[in-house]
Amino acid sequence: MDLDALKANLKKDFQEIASQEEINQFKVKYLGKKGQITELSKNIKNLPSKERPIFGKEISELRNLCEGFLDSAQEKIESLIVNESLEKDRIDVTLPGSYKSQGKLHPLTITTKKITDFFSSKGYLIEDGPEIETDYYNFDALNIPKDHPARDMHDTFYLENGNLLRTHTSPVQIRSIEKRGAPLKIICPGKVYRSDADKTHTPMFHQIEGLVITKNINFGHLKNEIMTFIDFFFGPDTKVRFRPSYFPFTEPSAEVDIMDKKSKNWLEIMGCGLVHPNVIDMAGLDSKKFSGFAFGMGIERMAKLLYEIEDMRSLFSNDIKFLSQ
Amino acid sequence: MKVLFSRITEAINAKPKIESLCDDLTLIGIEVDEIKSFEGDKIIDFDLTPNRGDCFSVKGLARDYCAFKGKKFSSLKKISFKGETKFTKKIKLSAREACSAYSAVSISNLKSKKKFPENIIKTLKAAGIQSIHPLVDIINFVMLESGQPMHVFDQDKIQGDIEVRFAKSKEQIKILGEKNIKLTNDCLVIADTKETIAFAGISGGLNHSVSKKTKNFIIESAFFDPAVIKGKARRYGFQTDASQRFERGVDFNLHEIALIEVLSIIKEIYQADISEIETIKNKYFPKKKLISISPKDVNQKLGTNLSENRIKSILNRLEIKLIKKNKINLTFEVPSHRFDLSIKEDLIEEVARIVGYDNLPQIKNDQVSQHYEKSKHDFINEMKIFMINKGFNEVINYSFLDKQALENLGIENKSISIKNPLNNSLNTLRTSLLPSLATNLVFNINRGQNFLNIFEIGKSFSNTSHSEALYLAGLVYDDEKFKNWNTKQNYDFFFLKGVLEDFFEEFRIEKISWKRSKNDLLHPFASADIHLKNKLIGSIGSVNPKLLKSLGLSKAFFYFEIKIESLLRKDLRKLLAPSIYPISQRDFSFEIDKDISYEQVNECIQNSSKNFLISSRIFDVYDGKNISEGKKSIAFRLSWGSNKKTLSEEDVNNEANLIISGMKKKLGALLR
Repeated sequence: MDLDALKANLKKDFQEIASQEEINQFKVKYLGKKGQITELSKNIKNLPSKERPIFGKEISELRNLCEGFLDSAQEKIESLIVNESLEKDRIDVTLPGSYKSQGKLHPLTITTKKITDFFSSKGYLIEDGPEIETDYYNFDALNIPKDHPARDMHDTFYLENGNLLRTHTSPVQIRSIEKRGAPLKIICPGKVYRSDADKTHTPMFHQIEGLVITKNINFGHLKNEIMTFIDFFFGPDTKVRFRPSYFPFTEPSAEVDIMDKKSKNWLEIMGCGLVHPNVIDMAGLDSKKFSGFAFGMGIERMAKLLYEIEDMRSLFSNDIKFLSQ
Repeated sequence: MKVLFSRITEAINAKPKIESLCDDLTLIGIEVDEIKSFEGDKIIDFDLTPNRGDCFSVKGLARDYCAFKGKKFSSLKKISFKGETKFTKKIKLSAREACSAYSAVSISNLKSKKKFPENIIKTLKAAGIQSIHPLVDIINFVMLESGQPMHVFDQDKIQGDIEVRFAKSKEQIKILGEKNIKLTNDCLVIADTKETIAFAGISGGLNHSVSKKTKNFIIESAFFDPAVIKGKARRYGFQTDASQRFERGVDFNLHEIALIEVLSIIKEIYQADISEIETIKNKYFPKKKLISISPKDVNQKLGTNLSENRIKSILNRLEIKLIKKNKINLTFEVPSHRFDLSIKEDLIEEVARIVGYDNLPQIKNDQVSQHYEKSKHDFINEMKIFMINKGFNEVINYSFLDKQALENLGIENKSISIKNPLNNSLNTLRTSLLPSLATNLVFNINRGQNFLNIFEIGKSFSNTSHSEALYLAGLVYDDEKFKNWNTKQNYDFFFLKGVLEDFFEEFRIEKISWKRSKNDLLHPFASADIHLKNKLIGSIGSVNPKLLKSLGLSKAFFYFEIKIESLLRKDLRKLLAPSIYPISQRDFSFEIDKDISYEQVNECIQNSSKNFLISSRIFDVYDGKNISEGKKSIAFRLSWGSNKKTLSEEDVNNEANLIISGMKKKLGALLR
């Protein structure tokens, strides 16, 4: 076979290669021990010595061409194999993920956190206390007289041994003053209990109270704290009003209302005031030296405003469809 | 308290719009609950705070309103009254402190001169007071106007004289409205020579009340000490217009003025024989309180800069009169209608009310700085976030439930009952969170939920020294083989255990051990008690199948409950520097007796290779083909390393041999 014919066959065979096996066959056919190029190169010894270098060069070129073909064939086949295996991995990317493992916090936890985050960042310590309380911490120490309506069986849950379920988180204030003394800056979230059940009341609910005790606290300090909080919680364009109210443990006392942006009605959101000197004295500090302010709000009410919940009781239904929203 | 708008406008002698009147009253602390239309007029329903007894009348509201607006207020003035006959009964004030002033008058031969005034009937109706008898209607009308409750007796039913005294033991009275009351000796009564004729300051007695047939009347108007009246009616489960006013405090200078007002209305409508007013007053009759305060006190508390004159004039508008003055202090006299003012702070609030809370300044205060302490609350929040990241949804349940539910589970013996529950389904404090979460499960299954993973952090209560403890509880349940199109694994014990192991790791709680559980709520062979340094802190497992029926379920769920009070992490853990030397790993598979626990094997490995072992991880447990009867195969991947050097082949061989021989010697294990 002459060189040109061989070259033509080589090109033709190369173009037909479609598998790894054919690559191997191609290699054997041309470059193997008995391959056509190998065989052809043996003819060199039959040539006159003058022609040998030219022939040798031609064979060498042929070999290079063949090896070049092999490389590119190998490349082509490998990419074919990869493409084939990729095709096997084809998936429907619109199917849902295997395991959805994100739960949700209760709306009351989220609301509480939003409130405590604000006060924590302002340096308040978060305090807690028992839910079973004594008459002393729940009422007496808070300047609530023995015959106050709140002490009534209609309002307070009493236990067999005369203790009660706390009706507000205020006892924590007293316990904290006793424990830490002054100056003091605390916030106390927690469960409280009152004998009441309707659309806007549940027998168990959550409150959060704040207390600051130091020297020379005035009403302006209280107002500033509340106003900054309302800006944070409801937005800086919220209309706020303070109006006089009555709590046995504060004097002066105030209720804070915000204007509902939709209905344009005033909504009561919290109670506050300067701590009554009797409370400071009873907790073991001197009211001539120390003064303070306190504020408290219902977390359900705040959650109601935050989430626009109609019926307070839905917060305790524990319906997973409601909770996992 | 329901009041006609027209009565207020008359009393303030002005006609503001009802909305602006209500806004103004709200801003001085008199809350408006509701406004309703009524016979061409409006009824305003006020929600009075318990300290403001002085506002429990049209005149009282008007007085506070006028003070705020700086308007002149005309109060009821004492006019002289001359009776035609003598008051014949003797009045004795035996409870001298409880009732220090008592006035009475008798009326007979009542003859109508003109039609009974429509506006009295309308005013009573608006206030929700039934019209009973013309004289009773008149005293009620004057009460609504002035705030002074009074009472009308049928004089002919009173035997002998009138005495105000405390009830004797076993004394009873049938009050208006037919209610029979067993009095105690702290109850003040009005009595005649023979029996009780009224529950003083609260209600008249039915047997001595007036009717259409009554010919001769006695009208009583008195001052009762609020402390004596307070809480008494409520104790018997009712309240009256009189008790509400007397327990908050009725102006101690009002009883005669109001009585004369009543008599002048009577005289306008009727021709009648009216006696002289008999008034008894003793030395316990209250004196006006004095409060000393300096302008500095006021400004220090309010953050204001009010002048002495401004403070004086504000208080003067409230009839709080300056009576004495020295270099520092001003001494004010509290008017007889204000029972709520006794200390400086009370006067400061009065100043603030009239200035307007909204006009007080806002002042920044950064006085208190404290060292940050991670609180229990922060810690609980971290736990909650851990749980939701593990796929659990947070629930919050009531702390109380039906005692029956605890009895059904056999865990009622340590429970605390509520003396006055709202209803029977909320009569006992929970002793475990399990009934709450199981109830949530049933509720959600009934609403078509096929699987559920929920948790709660809340308190559980026990009657041993009335203690309460904080728990984290979780529940997982699934009723479907395929929760998702390619997730085929159901929840099981080890899913839940894995959650808790991660939990303990995350919160750095070490020395946890898992032992077969003694908790009767759980499956006897598929549950564990969790111990922290040998102290029981909780349990985990499949719920005991025996309890499913009482829980209202047909398929078991997995549950855990741990006491978290003792797990509060205090400090940050110190971090170890990473080692720069490589780690060597080898896999081992042992054949051991089936009843040897993983814990025993792990302990043996840990004790055998003490030098360089970093971790041992079990990756297979197998019995069956190729394993001898009564045996199982367990496979571990062990890792060794050092932070001082690269371990040599020999180091690792030594450790491996120690483990193989240790396993053989202690547990009879064969290397496979």
